[in-house]
Amino acid sequence: MNLMKIVMKNMRQRALATWLTGTSVALGVALAVAIVLIKQGVQQRFEQGTLGYEMVVGAKGSPLQLVLNTVYNLDISPGNISWKLFEQLRADQRVKLAVPFSVGDNFHGFRIVGTTDVFFKDFEFEPGRKPELAAGRIFTFTEAALKSAFQEAEQRAKEREAKERGEEVKSAPMPEGTPANRPFEAVIGSTVARETGLQIGQTFIAAHGVQPSAEAKEHTENPWTVVGILAPTHTAADRAVYINLDSFYHIEGHEIRGPTAPVKAEEKDNDPDPGQVSSIVLKLRSPIHAFPLYREINDRQDAMAAFPAAEIRKLFDIVGNIDRLLFAQAILVLIVAGVAIAVSIYNSMSERRREIAILRALGARRATIFSIVLLEATTICVVGAAAGLLGGHLVVAAANGALYRASGFVIPAFHIQPLEWYILYVAVALGALSGIGPAWGAYRTDVAKNLAPSS
Amino acid sequence: MSEVLSLRNVSKTFREADGNLLEVISLRQFELGAGEQAVLVGESGSGKSTLLNLIAGILLPDKGEIMVNGTNPTKLSEAARDRFRAANIGYVFQSFNLLQGFTALENVLLGQMFGSANGGADRAVQLLKSVGLGHRLQHKPRALSVGEQQRVAIARALVNAPPLVLADEPTGSLDARNGVAVLDLLRRICTEGKHTLLLVTHDPQVMKSFEKVVRLEDLR
Repeated sequence: MNLMKIVMKNMRQRALATWLTGTSVALGVALAVAIVLIKQGVQQRFEQGTLGYEMVVGAKGSPLQLVLNTVYNLDISPGNISWKLFEQLRADQRVKLAVPFSVGDNFHGFRIVGTTDVFFKDFEFEPGRKPELAAGRIFTFTEAALKSAFQEAEQRAKEREAKERGEEVKSAPMPEGTPANRPFEAVIGSTVARETGLQIGQTFIAAHGVQPSAEAKEHTENPWTVVGILAPTHTAADRAVYINLDSFYHIEGHEIRGPTAPVKAEEKDNDPDPGQVSSIVLKLRSPIHAFPLYREINDRQDAMAAFPAAEIRKLFDIVGNIDRLLFAQAILVLIVAGVAIAVSIYNSMSERRREIAILRALGARRATIFSIVLLEATTICVVGAAAGLLGGHLVVAAANGALYRASGFVIPAFHIQPLEWYILYVAVALGALSGIGPAWGAYRTDVAKNLAPSS
Repeated sequence: MSEVLSLRNVSKTFREADGNLLEVISLRQFELGAGEQAVLVGESGSGKSTLLNLIAGILLPDKGEIMVNGTNPTKLSEAARDRFRAANIGYVFQSFNLLQGFTALENVLLGQMFGSANGGADRAVQLLKSVGLGHRLQHKPRALSVGEQQRVAIARALVNAPPLVLADEPTGSLDARNGVAVLDLLRRICTEGKHTLLLVTHDPQVMKSFEKVVRLEDLR
């Protein structure tokens, strides 16, 4: 017989109250743990996601929107920038790699991204990690085909504008590389392949808009053929459909309508803009070029640059406040649970006083009685906290499926975060605190009075 | 015969709800030798249970001297008094006072937990066997008859082999047949173990069975 055995007996005797109070502690801890895991996991994944994206260039607007749209395939594109800017940046001595991206369509909610073969050949989404193919090959891409697509898109735009003005339109001969012989090829992410069942050689029809919608127009005139499937990257790439940029500009509605922002006089030239893209991802030859180039681009009226890592940090600084609020809420739940434990033990004190008096008559010291009650409250909290710890991880593991479907990444659900130990300490301290009041009451029990026969 | 229990000029006063002082105990001298068995009688409310609590060190006298097995427990610190009680005094109550969540064996082991007796669970099992409960070790009090419950209480009181056993109306909650059986058992075990027994009772039949009958009013 030892103190712990007495405590366990007491808890078993009041099983319902023990279970309820323990559960309330478990809920509080599970909530706190889940918040910590999700916040840190999401932040870690988001920060990891920016590793390959040193600088992003896009239309003037919200830098965060540009980053979310380009790096994570979230939100909508802030607008287009000129292909000439892309060519300028690609030719810039400070730039090691420039990858263009164009968005505007989806397939079953998965974003369709127009890009070039550089994305597969030279782009690293993490240092040393290029997109790898699980099956098939990458799409065919040539600069000539892209230029021809730009001309074609421009011509379509002119024809449409003429029609809108009520003028008679004579169809001009299509430039070389017409849709009939231009490959409409796609490389799909691993999640897209798994969830849509698309396989190499199968075709699909894109829908207009980056989000699925019942009213969205389908581009039935040009189905794409899947030529490659990416191996899982655990980034937004898993949930994207990559098509060759030239085929993107053949899609109805993707006409080039001129710059989206006014251009400074010194930036104007006589050459018409051959085409547009949604954004450009840059890798620089040296970090020392980052800020000068950033300033130069942001000084333009038709484009802006953003550092994804900095934007994500800013985002989590904002989210961090909500996160702290949620955490405070979880601590409140824990405090309420602590109060519930104290109330539960207090309520049982009238029946316990006799037991305490018996133990005292058998030779138990006041300090022993104090310890028994304190140990009981602490045990409920420790067991509840342990269950909550496990519960929090299980909640995150269960939520990972939904998270993966929504964002393309998962949180390591069973990785213990250092903050969890503090949550555990808080729970134990809370248990001890909640037990002090009832333990003091037990300590002061009048033995002689409570030993007397009750009837 | 060496004295196991000795009380001299002991008094105890309680403050009543109206603020008046009520002297419950006031006795000149009382002694019990080793292995002696005595019955303490008195009217209801005359302070018999209070006297047992004073002897056990659960209550402290206002004045006087209480010696148990050569030690004055009132001079000890509360913690030391608790330890002393566990080792030197076995207490049997009218309402058994068993812990309901614990088995018969665990109730006896609880008595052992705070005392200093050796023998561990073996002694507890042996004692329960000697009171005829060898087959009821794992039963909780609710599953035992009242007679069996009181036998468990007797085993618990004796588990630390205390020199002094206090029994506060141990047959008060039992029917006549069980009362006789329990009393015989208590007396037999105390005799065999040379434990001094002071038993409080109202029951004339119980009084008759003791050679030494002490009336509380005669001690004043």
